[in-house]
Amino acid sequence: MLKMTHLSKVYRTEVVETYALRDFNIDVKEGEFVAVTGPSGSGKTTFLTIAGLLETFTGGEYLLDGVDVSGLNDNARSKIRNEKIGFIFQAFNLIPDLNVFDNVEVPLRYRGMKAAERKQRIMDALERVGLASRLKHYPAELSGGQQQRVAIARALAGSPRLLLADEPTGNLDTQMARGVMELLEDIHREGATIVMVTHDPELAARAQRNVHIIDGQEVDIAEDPRFHAEHAASSHV
Amino acid sequence: MQIKPILSALRHHKAGTILIAVQIALTLAIVCNALFIIQQRITMLTRSTGIDEAHLIRLQNQWVGVDDKHVGSLMQTDLDTLRRLPGVADAYATNSTPLSNGGWSTGIGLKPGGKGERVQTAIYFADDHTLDTLGLKLVAGRNFRSSEVVDQMQHDGLDPPQVIVTRAVADKFFPDGDAVGKRVYLGNKPSIIVGVVARLQVPWVGGWAANWEGRSTLVPRRLMASGTNFVIRAKDGQIDKVLHSAPAALLASDRMRVIPDDDGVVTFAQMRQEAYQSDRGMAILMGVICVVLLGITAAGIVGLTSFWVGQRRKQIGVRRALGATRRDILSYFLTENLLIGATGVVLGMLLAVGMNQWLMNTFEMQRLSWPWIVSGVIVLLALGQAAVLAPAIRASRVPPVVATRTV
Repeated sequence: MLKMTHLSKVYRTEVVETYALRDFNIDVKEGEFVAVTGPSGSGKTTFLTIAGLLETFTGGEYLLDGVDVSGLNDNARSKIRNEKIGFIFQAFNLIPDLNVFDNVEVPLRYRGMKAAERKQRIMDALERVGLASRLKHYPAELSGGQQQRVAIARALAGSPRLLLADEPTGNLDTQMARGVMELLEDIHREGATIVMVTHDPELAARAQRNVHIIDGQEVDIAEDPRFHAEHAASSHV
Repeated sequence: MQIKPILSALRHHKAGTILIAVQIALTLAIVCNALFIIQQRITMLTRSTGIDEAHLIRLQNQWVGVDDKHVGSLMQTDLDTLRRLPGVADAYATNSTPLSNGGWSTGIGLKPGGKGERVQTAIYFADDHTLDTLGLKLVAGRNFRSSEVVDQMQHDGLDPPQVIVTRAVADKFFPDGDAVGKRVYLGNKPSIIVGVVARLQVPWVGGWAANWEGRSTLVPRRLMASGTNFVIRAKDGQIDKVLHSAPAALLASDRMRVIPDDDGVVTFAQMRQEAYQSDRGMAILMGVICVVLLGITAAGIVGLTSFWVGQRRKQIGVRRALGATRRDILSYFLTENLLIGATGVVLGMLLAVGMNQWLMNTFEMQRLSWPWIVSGVIVLLALGQAAVLAPAIRASRVPPVVATRTV
């Protein structure tokens, strides 16, 4: 489903080159729930933006659903984002001027879907996250947990091949976070492929598999001394 | 189309939306009426007087120390002098001319003593040389005969036995085109229409004569007054020479006269320039107002859209992340502006009609026709789209990765 081989991302300035990802490899199979973990600045978010085709990469290969995405133009990347990827952001990223129904509708409109089908999908998705009764509410009228559920409904409505979640519970209290995680687990059990970026070991533990990034490279947690050093430092905070 | 969500979003930005819509409405109303006034002024500026202005000179003469009763012989001597001058094709004396903004007018009708339907007409004193001098086109009947031209004291009643009228006067009373030989009344006695000329504009170029600017009547009269106007027709290429030789010849024949230095001898081209100076000024002023107003409106749209693009940068990034192409973002802002513009122009159309009604009632302006309003609508909507283009393109360049940034 998602395969990156020897992938690199370099940010260049006039005087310095910074590797956000270096010789990075990952292979996520269809139906897997993978947590990508790592400390701040390790390259998790860069991985997510490249995986979601929000940014281009500098070297290596990236196959999404079997398609090499390296040579795609901006329009083609937009189309893939719209049709194959569902995003769940830490800050929810709902559009404040639109109500729940219109928010969930946004990606479907860009797909050029007919109104009747859009409505059906929106209703199904909102039923799925338990917010079908809040169609006319605006984001500001919802709790954080409800806003994230709307964002999940927006991601699900397009029936994406891959769900990318960026710290999906990062802005939620414990109770709301638990609810959102349970929802993601349910969605995964129904067959969805989920890649979740998080720095929270507890959340990561609920995924099927963890990929740990340090300094822009995936590491074997059991063997890499940098992980143990990082882990020890985190434990003392 | 994404009209519904755009309308929904605009409801959350009421102040800016209403401000721009009202600005567009006011601009449309003012620009439509201003352009209409400009068009009317330009039509006025360029309309024909019916005379051959390019070859004509007006010479204002004031005899000094002469009784009005004895002006006739002096006038005839002067006309003989002028007609003999090299470069002069013809000349005649009159009370007034087109573009002079001063003259005589009276009512003309089919019944004596001011009864029955009458229309206003300008009165031009004329003789058998008038048609040739002015280059008027006789479309029916004949010219005056020299025997028909008689003296007229300034305060005597005006009841000439013969008149030549313009087609505008003839058609008013005789729409079948058979005016020649018919009777009309300027006063109590009948005047027979002996000829009809195609066009001869009244002396006044301003608003009060606007509705009858083509209704003129030539009467075979010589005005017995110490002040008179000579109209001189120069031969081709001789007008500059005659401009100097004519007053010199008159002064040489009799120095007991005053010919004003500044505007005593002028070409009709100069008279046209002078007569329409305020109209030209008004047209330019209106044009400047239109340009400034359109500029301010465009700047307002650019400013507000730029502000909205900055304010919604994250939101644009989210839309891009969810699959919007650059074209979708561009289209979003263009459509949003079109919706605001459409609201503005609907309001503006009503305002334009209302403003025109007020101008009609207050300044006797003509009714604004729909093509002017439709043209204004198209201009305003096009201006809005042009103004929004730069910020919309900027918005379309917001990268999708912005969606993942927290600041």
